[in-house]
Amino acid sequence: MNDEIHKLLLVGDNPFQGISHLSQEQARTRGEVDVSPADRAADIVVASIKNGANGFSFSVSDLTLSILRSLRERKSLDAISLYAMVPYAFEYVRVATQTGTPGLVKRFAKQVVLTGNLRAILEGLWSAARQDPEGFVNVYLSYELSRIKSAAGKQAKLTSVLLNEVIVDMALALNFDWLFKSLIDFLSKRGITPGFNTRNFPYLVSKFNEWEINIEEALIVTPFNKVGFQMNPSREKCEEALKNLAKPNLLAISVLAAGYLKPSEAADYITGLENLKGIIVGVSNEQQASATFALFKERLRI
Amino acid sequence: MPKRRIRIGVVGLGKMGLLHSSLLNTFQDVELVALCDRNALMTRVCRSIFSSTAVVVVNSVEKFNEFALDAVYITTPISSHFPIVKDLYAKKTVCNLFTEKTLASNSSQAEEMSEIAKKIGGITMVGYMKRFSVVFKKAKEFLVAGDLGEPVSFNAYAYSSDFLGLTKDSKSSVSRGGALKDIGCHIIDLAFWLFGDLKVTEVTSCDKIGDSEISASFTVTSPNEIAGRFDVSQRMLNYRMPEFGFSIECPRAKLDVNDDRLRLTLKDGSQKTLYRHDLHDNVPFWLGETEYHRENEEFINSIIDNRMCEPNFETALKVDRLIDQVKQRAATL
Repeated sequence: MNDEIHKLLLVGDNPFQGISHLSQEQARTRGEVDVSPADRAADIVVASIKNGANGFSFSVSDLTLSILRSLRERKSLDAISLYAMVPYAFEYVRVATQTGTPGLVKRFAKQVVLTGNLRAILEGLWSAARQDPEGFVNVYLSYELSRIKSAAGKQAKLTSVLLNEVIVDMALALNFDWLFKSLIDFLSKRGITPGFNTRNFPYLVSKFNEWEINIEEALIVTPFNKVGFQMNPSREKCEEALKNLAKPNLLAISVLAAGYLKPSEAADYITGLENLKGIIVGVSNEQQASATFALFKERLRI
Repeated sequence: MPKRRIRIGVVGLGKMGLLHSSLLNTFQDVELVALCDRNALMTRVCRSIFSSTAVVVVNSVEKFNEFALDAVYITTPISSHFPIVKDLYAKKTVCNLFTEKTLASNSSQAEEMSEIAKKIGGITMVGYMKRFSVVFKKAKEFLVAGDLGEPVSFNAYAYSSDFLGLTKDSKSSVSRGGALKDIGCHIIDLAFWLFGDLKVTEVTSCDKIGDSEISASFTVTSPNEIAGRFDVSQRMLNYRMPEFGFSIECPRAKLDVNDDRLRLTLKDGSQKTLYRHDLHDNVPFWLGETEYHRENEEFINSIIDNRMCEPNFETALKVDRLIDQVKQRAATL
């Protein structure tokens, strides 16, 4: 890894949301034994920060907003940067499962109105009248930003807003270049780094080149691990695309391949990669937080 | 001369319609031509978001006749599969059809669809994508290899928390066809694929909201006397995502397989576990799960090579038949 850059070591929220990409069985067991309500999760974030994490990456959900509130009350947000992932796809898919896609659209519109964010409401109405998709993106982002600010406070350092991989990969596949361009435009104007989470990193690089989107303006989040887990089309192609980046602006996730690898094995692989900006790692308890982040802090020389 | 690409239309712009449309648009041999949804709001939204692409969004399947399509994907609610398929065949819009699971609302509709498909002679497929999961494929490999001995019995489950806490007034499950059609069909299809023909022997429980079951348990048997038990529920605690699995007893080992891993326990107690990580679970383009890419690839390659595709309408008909058997027996409980 390049030593010149300011490296990021972020604590991720997957364990708090009950997610394990190794097995759902594991996630359920973890949930039963070690349920992580907001305060408990906030303890883990604080322990991670004490041991070297310099940021918190989270999907914007009711739970993570409560974690932000808890961190704010403890004044722990002052020391860290926030990386917010939107939308929290699980919740939206669940609503779509229960009410259908039109039901999801209606529910979202209702939520925007309930925030009382007048600007977002007016922009939403204007976009609906003009059937303007970019306007809808702006309304959505305004809505999520207002939720984050309301939980974390206006002084919190919201460094980046990252688009969830399901939306990113769908938009890549359907050639919705306008979505990426409008998100970059909207966030950059507000001093927030736009970010994109993908499971198809080489495909994203190729599309951004084709659409003349400057990848250096954005933060890319994608899996990197020794066993090639969730690295599509292959580990080799992902490594090649990483090597060819002009600037280290990639955050690796799944570095532990969802618990399949030991932290030391993961660190061996990650430290051998060129061009990484940093990594995001999820931990489920304070003990794991100290051991894991201390190790990565040392190995990444933060 | 450049090779002609397979021209595709997709009916239904819910999450499955958008997922298939997205994946298909990454295939070099495919041209995503037209999308259709009857819902006025969805049509308006999609026309607007697809306006910068060459994809046309229409509000009626009849309009698909204008596009000289090679294949149509049907991703609408189950109850509409039958009329849409019949209409597409009757109007000779297309002869190659992909239908999301289940094939139809009941087995008589499914039989009619299967018969028409046979007469027309195109390629058909039903979206039982779990067959394309690396872990279930590995389980099938173990069983086919025969080293474990002929299976004696199995327990199968399909669990989700999708409707946990919903009341009797909820119409959500009804719109998705009930637990058997919504999630149970996947393990039933896998069971046919793994063990061959199956017949219902007993329905031990069936809980309903309105007319739709929210959970059901039943037993089956195969011609070579494999005894099976199915447990299906959409109101299980802590199943963030739907999960499917089997525990299979064989003379020389027990095979436990679910969406994430396969565990082989030999009679001496020794175990071997294989995760997705161990099974080369990478695809050219990932969306949702890797199995969706493989499923679409199989359908498209079957059209290109003009060969039979699995699971096709005839194969999927068996799932609808078995679900009907369960429902009939459940009615007498």
